[in-house]
Amino acid sequence: MKGKKGKGLVISVAAVLAVFLIFGTLRTSVAKPIKIGGSLPETGIFSEAAKWIKRGYDAWLEDVNNKGGLLGRPVEMIIYDDESAPAKAVTYYERAITVDKVDLISGGYPGTANVAVMPLVEKYGKVFIGMGGHLKSFEQGYTYSFASPPLMSEWACLALAGPLDDLIPKEKWPKSMAILTMNNVIGLSARGNTIKVAQEHGMRVAVDETYNLPLTDATPLVSKAKGSGADLLVCMSFFDDAVMIVRAAKAMNYKPKMIFQLLASTIPAWMKELGEDGNSVLADMFWNSRLPYPGNKEINAAAKRKLGIPAGPTYFGLGYSWMKTLELAVKGSGSLDHKKIRDYLRSQKFDLPYGKGISFDSRGLPPPYAFTTQTTGGLVELVWPKEVATTKLVYPRPAWKK
Amino acid sequence: MSATHIIQSLISGLLLGAIYALLAVGFSLAWGTMKVMNISHAAFAVLGAYIAYWLFVLGKIDPLFSLPLVVLVLFILGGVVYRLFIRPITKAREPLMASMVVTFGLAIVVENLMSYFWRPDPRILKPPYTGSSLFIGEIAVSQGPLIGFVLAAIAITLLYFFLRNTYTGKAVQATWQNPIGAALVGVNTERVSLITFGLSIASAGVAGVAMSFIYAFYPPVQMIWTLFVFLVTIVGGVGSLIGTAAAGLVIGFVIGISAAFLPFIWVNVLLFGLLLLILLFRPSGLFQA
Amino acid sequence: MVREKAENFKANDGPIQKWSYVVVLCIIFLLFAFPLLKPPAYFLSLLFTVFMYIALTESWNIMGGYAGYISLGHVTFFSIGAYTTAVFMNRLGVSPFATAIPGGFVAAMVAALVGIFLLKIRGAYFVISTFLLAVVTHLVFMNWNFVGSSSGLWFKLLPVSIEVNRIIFYEVMLLLAILITLVARWVEKSKFGVGLVAIREDEDVAQSVGIHAPKLKLLAFILSAFLAGIVGGIYGYYMSYIHPDTTFDINISLLILLMAFFGGCRTWIGPLLGATILSSANQVFVTFIGAEISRIFYGLLLMVVIIFMPDGMIEHIKNSRVVKKWVAE
Repeated sequence: MKGKKGKGLVISVAAVLAVFLIFGTLRTSVAKPIKIGGSLPETGIFSEAAKWIKRGYDAWLEDVNNKGGLLGRPVEMIIYDDESAPAKAVTYYERAITVDKVDLISGGYPGTANVAVMPLVEKYGKVFIGMGGHLKSFEQGYTYSFASPPLMSEWACLALAGPLDDLIPKEKWPKSMAILTMNNVIGLSARGNTIKVAQEHGMRVAVDETYNLPLTDATPLVSKAKGSGADLLVCMSFFDDAVMIVRAAKAMNYKPKMIFQLLASTIPAWMKELGEDGNSVLADMFWNSRLPYPGNKEINAAAKRKLGIPAGPTYFGLGYSWMKTLELAVKGSGSLDHKKIRDYLRSQKFDLPYGKGISFDSRGLPPPYAFTTQTTGGLVELVWPKEVATTKLVYPRPAWKK
Repeated sequence: MSATHIIQSLISGLLLGAIYALLAVGFSLAWGTMKVMNISHAAFAVLGAYIAYWLFVLGKIDPLFSLPLVVLVLFILGGVVYRLFIRPITKAREPLMASMVVTFGLAIVVENLMSYFWRPDPRILKPPYTGSSLFIGEIAVSQGPLIGFVLAAIAITLLYFFLRNTYTGKAVQATWQNPIGAALVGVNTERVSLITFGLSIASAGVAGVAMSFIYAFYPPVQMIWTLFVFLVTIVGGVGSLIGTAAAGLVIGFVIGISAAFLPFIWVNVLLFGLLLLILLFRPSGLFQA
Repeated sequence: MVREKAENFKANDGPIQKWSYVVVLCIIFLLFAFPLLKPPAYFLSLLFTVFMYIALTESWNIMGGYAGYISLGHVTFFSIGAYTTAVFMNRLGVSPFATAIPGGFVAAMVAALVGIFLLKIRGAYFVISTFLLAVVTHLVFMNWNFVGSSSGLWFKLLPVSIEVNRIIFYEVMLLLAILITLVARWVEKSKFGVGLVAIREDEDVAQSVGIHAPKLKLLAFILSAFLAGIVGGIYGYYMSYIHPDTTFDINISLLILLMAFFGGCRTWIGPLLGATILSSANQVFVTFIGAEISRIFYGLLLMVVIIFMPDGMIEHIKNSRVVKKWVAE
């Protein structure tokens, strides 16, 4: 009898221990979620692109949670609406950091907001991965901000120079340029280099006008461009203003040989607003769903799953890629310590949706690059560099359809 | 700088100027006849634009056909605003100042109500006829602004005849020139004020629709439109319909010329700088008798 | 009669008066000591904003409340102060803590130049003119490369942790708010202030009894601008990045107006009260209810205040029968 009792004791103790162990592990796997916070201009003049960025964030969130989360913990995101006002963005980021006590922060949009947020996140010592602001903001000695992929307006000119150099014979280059720029950091920083590129390619700067956002009427600007006879129209614009400029160009029957833009044509609503008139417009971009790099399969699959479209729209993919970079950095450094994450980002090479073997310099930027996109048949296709091109460049631009 | 471009600029400016004139007419009227400076005038213009926009987008009704509704709704709103907020103020020590501050608050309320319900995303009203231009030789006259111009011209003319030739209109004029005398003669000054204010706001609504043919609009734009309302009103002389109309054209001309020669961003600086100078040296306006 | 007045004056310095001094000093001490409780940085930021609005509204009120010249252009001088310190820091490397007062001087000089002309205009036209001043200056700054045009200007970050950073700015702005309130109080009780009030009540009559209105108005305008400039200088440093759209924001003007009218623009207490209550409420509202709703609320509040309490809360309460009964007991 004693033996049996002894065995019973051992078994019950073992059982109790087992139960505790199981409970214990169960508890750790129902772990505290990781919170990521930030803001986006969900309303206001920058909202068109931001809508897609948010969708990209949501898609990434789903994917990362389906694969077990970050560092074994589920992930949550808190995104505030900063109403396209940089000052509000700063307030919301500070709120996310100090009141919501988020573990990580998300990239903001657009560059003007990021420029204002960068000093704040530097003060709080949080890694900030997004599109960046402009080159000057990266030269303030901030160490926590990264642009991956960057929407670096100073590099936009590469997307203009590329097709000129590689795809169009010298005799056929445009002879003069009309450049219309929105009066903010993004527009102005893009303008400088683009003018240089034009001049290097033998073009005369016929019209160089800056306008304040929001643009109320594009007619005077376009009229000036048309009057000057410029055959290259460059719009360093956002979305609504770019749409208005193209509309005005059509209304006045202004037919430049090439229209090059900062970003508007890469947003799906572009084709919706302009229809046929929105085709054959070139833009610079720093990511595209057709690029043959790691991660794009997931992005396109997510787009299909969540939006029912075969490929990720530009800002969807950008949002996803920013979060993806953060994901890789956190997973790679194995920690939520922002110093460790930051140092990891600086010390490694990464395979990202926009390129292989990307490394970040002391400013937090990858080496300069850009892709040239063209709206063709209602889609955003790549025309340059040649290795990644998905369609042929249409030059000169066809006449406006009635 | 081609002659074509200059003429093009001028024409654009003139069309715009007429529309600004319509925008300012109601404001000028309220200020001149009722001593009420209605800072929310432009906010109601934006509201008018939104009404036309939603009717167009949701109901496929052409903005020109939705005008009667815009006029009606805004006239009634004007009456309500008058009763609730303006009338108590007219008894204040300095009604002009008080009305200015109250309507400032009202402008904020109206603007943010619109922002709250309809979001501050820019809207463009684009009935099919606004996409193209009439061509006079090489000069392109955009149809949108052209229609806005015609609308403004008709509206201002109607208002003028109303004031000159109808009983109510003459009563309004009389009340302005001599409130006590008008009352003595049997004019119901209270009702006249109500109608005047209602008309003022209704005209703002029509102006808003006209503006939407040229401009993208969204609630905060009312602040920019308010500046132009001031500009035209002060240049034309407060209370003078003809003065306002003339001022609109003059300002349109100035915008056209400066847009042709100056960098675009300095045009507004020029305009508001000029306004500041006018206020400093000739506040009664350039056209006041 | 003079002797009676003097006796009344002494009688006022009774126990209630002394008590209120002690209470005020205690509150001030507690405010300075608050950071010792290690509150979250967010609260220090919140209070920084409250103190800033107190300082701005009090400085505004010298012109708007005492003299009755309502300015919608106060942000102009606020911005000039911010930009002056920014330019000094960027080009000469000097800390804004040293250049804030010079920033105030620059704002004052601009006010002097502009005021000579602007103050010839009266009433509603003056209000419009000040608004235009803000608009034009905003546009100019957006296009002027010396001040960074639309790129804005950066300040070098303080080489301290964020907690210390917030504490420093908290204390500095608290000090500024107190000092500026004291200045406003001093002006109110001085001959200068009496002259301003006379101008407000009836400028022409004041002139006829020997008050040199143009000089007094200009002085008030300059003083008001000077103070606003100093506040701007500190604000810029706090934000580490300034841009014309943030410093010339119309909402700042709206809030100042509202705070002054709500609290009462006749005395130095009015703006203090108005700024404290509304600024704190604003932060809460905007964070939890949403920006539009809070602005609708403020617009309505402004309208209600003007219609029912044109002299502000303080006067309204003072004059209300309830309070009168309570005081008489």
